[in-house]
Amino acid sequence: MGVTDLPEPRIGTLSRVAPRPIKFILNWGRRYSLWVFNFGLACCAIEFIATSMSRHDFIRLGVIPFAPGPRQADLMVVSGTVTDKMAPAIKRLYEQMPEPKYVISFGACSNCGGPYWDSYCVTKGVDQIIPVDVYVPGCPPRPEALLHGIVRLQQKIAAESLGERYLTGDGDGHSREPVAPAPPPRPMEATVLRRPLRPPPPSLPEVLREADQPTERLPRMGTLPLPAAPDEQPPPADPGGGSTQELPRLDDDGYPEDGIIDLSIVPGFDDPDEDYQDGDYQDGDGGGEDGGEGRR
Amino acid sequence: MTPDEIAAAWSGWSAGPAPSGDAGDPARVDETFGTLTVDVPAGRWVDALRFARDDLGCGFFDWLTGVDELADGLGVVAHVYSLESGHHLLVRTRVPRAEPVLATATGVYRGANWHERETYEMFGVIFDGHPDLKPLLLPDGFEGHPLRKDFVLAARVAKPWPGALEPGESGAGAPSRRRLRPPGVPADWGRSGR
Repeated sequence: MGVTDLPEPRIGTLSRVAPRPIKFILNWGRRYSLWVFNFGLACCAIEFIATSMSRHDFIRLGVIPFAPGPRQADLMVVSGTVTDKMAPAIKRLYEQMPEPKYVISFGACSNCGGPYWDSYCVTKGVDQIIPVDVYVPGCPPRPEALLHGIVRLQQKIAAESLGERYLTGDGDGHSREPVAPAPPPRPMEATVLRRPLRPPPPSLPEVLREADQPTERLPRMGTLPLPAAPDEQPPPADPGGGSTQELPRLDDDGYPEDGIIDLSIVPGFDDPDEDYQDGDYQDGDGGGEDGGEGRR
Repeated sequence: MTPDEIAAAWSGWSAGPAPSGDAGDPARVDETFGTLTVDVPAGRWVDALRFARDDLGCGFFDWLTGVDELADGLGVVAHVYSLESGHHLLVRTRVPRAEPVLATATGVYRGANWHERETYEMFGVIFDGHPDLKPLLLPDGFEGHPLRKDFVLAARVAKPWPGALEPGESGAGAPSRRRLRPPGVPADWGRSGR
């Protein structure tokens, strides 16, 4: 069977010689539109799927898991045990991806062989066949670890210069320095990598009691004036207003440094102890939104 | 059938005429790991499987694989099952390591085809009369029979383990790293001093 070598896929000349602000814009657009292609080979693929579902939801980070195939994908996540027999297929599908393309190695097996290190048939890491941008350790890693790896990859994309990425040898006058310095690691908000706990629903008798009240007034919506609240506690912090609360600093694992998980920083979250202290359920959902003018 | 009835049937099979003329040892029935096991001579392997299928009613072929018994040769085990009455048994034989040739069971159970191909590539047992005896799972060009116990797993020698086995062993030169050489790898392989 005759095989014709196609020319190596290249990025356009424009993006290589573009001035630096345009490169910044291109990187900015590229990092938040990563069409991902899941090369699921073992149990890590389940964690990838969990990351794409509603709880962790990496679409909010700009990762789109609907690529119909490698030809439409920007990012390949190799999740699972790479065997020597599967390795040519991985290399072939990687070569089908359009430039620029990125690879996340997800899990111990695709990083280095993992627990199958001694096996006669397991490749000792997918980086032996294709270049890897970000390694995510774990066996299997939690979905938060994949989110963290995606954030790291986005930082890498923001700082890269495609002219440098695709130059071989010692260049021909193109700028060697990165487009922008990599953004410093910032303390992430608690809701970026880990979704907050939801407040418990009101217990059943309270709901029934509220439903039994005669409907003399319109349902409370928006900024309608409310009847006077029996308690005179100060209104909770308005999340939409100008007052911003300082977020607690997080350590490397995403937990607050002082060990206290303060859920009051979460917009819309009310401490149930404050709401239910008089046994009457006042604020339907998220007492923060009727905070200001409804109460005297 | 109860195990006693199966054992009695096998003793009757041993007393019967051997079609190939090589009578060998009589079938030995015992229980290993909670499963009824029949050891038959290699010369009557196909005959024993046909007896299990026709006379004992074990029409369902479950699996066939090999066992590396080191100096005792290579074992070949087949698990057959009776869907009607639910009894099942392991049929086991042994071939010499120097000449691991066994008659194929595909004439009795057609489903043994791929199992024998896998046993052929993993253990090197040659199934005489198999219609298409070629490797099933291993990539092209693989040399050796990886499930034999003398197959050297050289991965850790070729590339050092990048991580730490225990917390606190992150630095190189931990004393236990010397033990990372798997059994069977010659002592002079790999880097010097490791």
